Amino acid sequence: MGFYIFSYFCAVIFLAAVACRVYRQLTLPVHVRWELYPVWHEKPVRSAYGGSYMEEPDWWTRPYEPSAGNAMKYMAPEILLLRGLLAENKRLWLVSFPFHLGLYLMLATTVLLLMEAAFMLVAPSPADFGGMLRTGIGWLIVALGWIGLITGLIGALGLLYRRLTDADLKRYATPADYFNLLFILAFFLAAISAAFSDPFFDGAKAYLAGLLTAGTFMSACEPGQSFSGALTILLASLLAAYIPLTHMSHMFMKYFLYHQVKWDDEPNRPGNAVEAAVLRNLHYRPSWSAKHVEADGSKSWKDIASSAPKETK
Amino acid sequence: MKPILKPADISVPGDCLCRIEPGDLAPLPAPYEDFNLRIPTPLKADKVKNLETSLDDTLAVCIPRPSTKEEEDALVVKFLSGLKKLFEKENNWTFLQQLTLSMEHCARCQTCSEACPVFEMSGRQEIYRPIFRSEVLRRIYRKYLRRGGKIAAKWTGDIDLNWTAVARLAELSYRCSLCRRCASVCPIGVDNGLIAHEIRKLFSQELGFAPKELHEKGTVLHLRSGSSTGMNPAAAKDSVEFIREEMEEITGRPVAIPWDVEGADILLIHNAGEMLAWPENVGAFAIIFQAAGLSWTMSSEAVGYDAVNYGLWYDDVQFARVALRHADIARRLKVKKIVLGECGHAHKALTVVADRMLTGDLNVPRESAMVTLESIVQSGKLKFNSKKNNFPVTLHDPCNVVRSMGIVEPQRRILRKIAPGFREMTPHGVNNYCCGGGSGFAIMSGNNFADWRNLVSSRKKFLQILNAFENEPQDAPKYVCAPCSNCKGAIRDLIHYYNAEERSGLYYGGLVELIVNALDGMQKPIIRFGEKPSWE
Repeated sequence: MGFYIFSYFCAVIFLAAVACRVYRQLTLPVHVRWELYPVWHEKPVRSAYGGSYMEEPDWWTRPYEPSAGNAMKYMAPEILLLRGLLAENKRLWLVSFPFHLGLYLMLATTVLLLMEAAFMLVAPSPADFGGMLRTGIGWLIVALGWIGLITGLIGALGLLYRRLTDADLKRYATPADYFNLLFILAFFLAAISAAFSDPFFDGAKAYLAGLLTAGTFMSACEPGQSFSGALTILLASLLAAYIPLTHMSHMFMKYFLYHQVKWDDEPNRPGNAVEAAVLRNLHYRPSWSAKHVEADGSKSWKDIASSAPKETK
Repeated sequence: MKPILKPADISVPGDCLCRIEPGDLAPLPAPYEDFNLRIPTPLKADKVKNLETSLDDTLAVCIPRPSTKEEEDALVVKFLSGLKKLFEKENNWTFLQQLTLSMEHCARCQTCSEACPVFEMSGRQEIYRPIFRSEVLRRIYRKYLRRGGKIAAKWTGDIDLNWTAVARLAELSYRCSLCRRCASVCPIGVDNGLIAHEIRKLFSQELGFAPKELHEKGTVLHLRSGSSTGMNPAAAKDSVEFIREEMEEITGRPVAIPWDVEGADILLIHNAGEMLAWPENVGAFAIIFQAAGLSWTMSSEAVGYDAVNYGLWYDDVQFARVALRHADIARRLKVKKIVLGECGHAHKALTVVADRMLTGDLNVPRESAMVTLESIVQSGKLKFNSKKNNFPVTLHDPCNVVRSMGIVEPQRRILRKIAPGFREMTPHGVNNYCCGGGSGFAIMSGNNFADWRNLVSSRKKFLQILNAFENEPQDAPKYVCAPCSNCKGAIRDLIHYYNAEERSGLYYGGLVELIVNALDGMQKPIIRFGEKPSWE
């Protein structure tokens, strides 16, 4: 039961950390525009060369129509294949891509394992419930699980090697960077070691069935049967809790970096939500202390911006 | 062999953290090999004695050396107070989200380094690496402002904070031209240019440290006298009247430059530097707008005839004050739109960044002159003879117009129509390289900063220009079209510094000059290579 409690605890930390990070971003004030072109939710004819709607005469007379579809066409290969890194830093991509692919496939495998665990709660065998779909999921778990473990291991080793041998990377690496890589490497090593003795991931399926039922389901795994299996459970749980606490949260925070900064080209129009947010911001009272700012704690941004500085130096 | 610096080295006291040595800089091709061993002129002894020069023996901010340890400590405390304010919505709602995201998510993969022209051209001086200054700020923030930071610093990257580090960081924020090429290649979306911008703001808004050219002789002068050139309204009108007369000589017919026309469709705002340094640009706009029959005006109200907004580069408060004045003048003139002349940072300042500061009737629509000009050129109202532009032309893309605003094709469609010798630089468009004069560098020439700009930050652009014309005869005149006043200033200085007019036949100018030069029915060409214009 201790393993289950530990996994639940880590899952709670994961969810809380993700929620905190996302909530913080969602509650920050609307900022000034700072987009960077190409903005890929533009029309394809323009985004192909990095153009914007501001290339149109009298652009403000036309509706603002960002296309989520166009953005997705760019983002899908960016997320899945790390296209930007491939284009700009191929040497690093050669190790970073398998690393990220390994993590993505571990995530996908976990989702499939959860689906299989849910099936198991209804009936132990595909012949009794789930049929072809469940059989397919079973094979996908094996395929994605193994590919993910192998690519992840290669990637983690490769990234560690690069951090240790590339002078430019090494100079800026911190103990935390090495720890993160070693942590993930340890997870892949433990998981591969467990998978050698359980190549169809039956133990993982049973563990997740146990997780779904607080260990009460009759097919639930009794964790700790093998050292590598137990280690995999501990490291996977810890990793899930740890990632959103670090800069590795870029896995999901990249959404904000792209959609709320790099591609945030929404114009401020009379009466729209942006204008309402700006009006709120103009009431903030800054306390910058340089003389020319003339902030005394009572003046708002609006007051200060509509005044001229008395200071001449 | 130079020691290889790490971010923590910024706080190690010493005379000079990094000095460019002869032969360090990226080599230039023939006939410029004689510049390959040149380095920025060393600072004079009195400057070194009295000012903070220990970053790289170059001066931009010119911070006086504190006379006592107590004074140093007080400035360090003030620096930390400013750093804290950067992360507060009351003080920095303008850039809080961009800053927090860029501070928290860098993977230190170094992809940005290869995109930075300053780092590359400097011979890969470590302090100019885009993440060097970001990492310094990140470590100081984590260690000194986050709970438990001093313990965590051993884990996430340690650094000591002292006056040496603070003074060097101030200077270092002015070794990045904010071109944001690094941000455009970052796989995660981290923006090191933005971090440099925020450091500049911290120093200006909290400690009152900013280059004189940007603050005292920049935004302060702009708001006080009407223009960062120092021209008051009467002087601006005089200058334009002189330009109008010159343009009549070129067209052979009357040219009108309207002032303060209430209810005009367009308020045209130039960078006032054009009136003094490149009057033909202001005149060419007038010729084109008049020929196209546009309803337009200029404003003679203080600030209204100068589109610059240096606040964009170093201070949000000064930025907002200037932007508000521009918008208010347009509102009171009841124009339908503001058209921004050939000034890149003014484009981004008033159209993009100020967009989320202007509310209600201050939100007067803003349009790039590239767009207005394309409409005119493609309308068929004007007749062109492109053979008049029978010389090689290349286009410099101002970062603020292309990468920061997405105005990429209108200027190219114009050039394809009126300049048969047009060819692109490599790379171009949103992948362009900065002229090296971005973020205020073009107007900062005190001490040895102009040397540093010409030798380091503008070097990549110089190589690009030479490459664009590599198949042309060396002595044939060639035109670098730079539709931005600051870029033109940087390119003018480059051509002068490297004697490139004599050695490579390089000339430069704006886009409107090429348009007018190709217009049918002009009495004289507006572009006359090698001839001194009458206003010089």
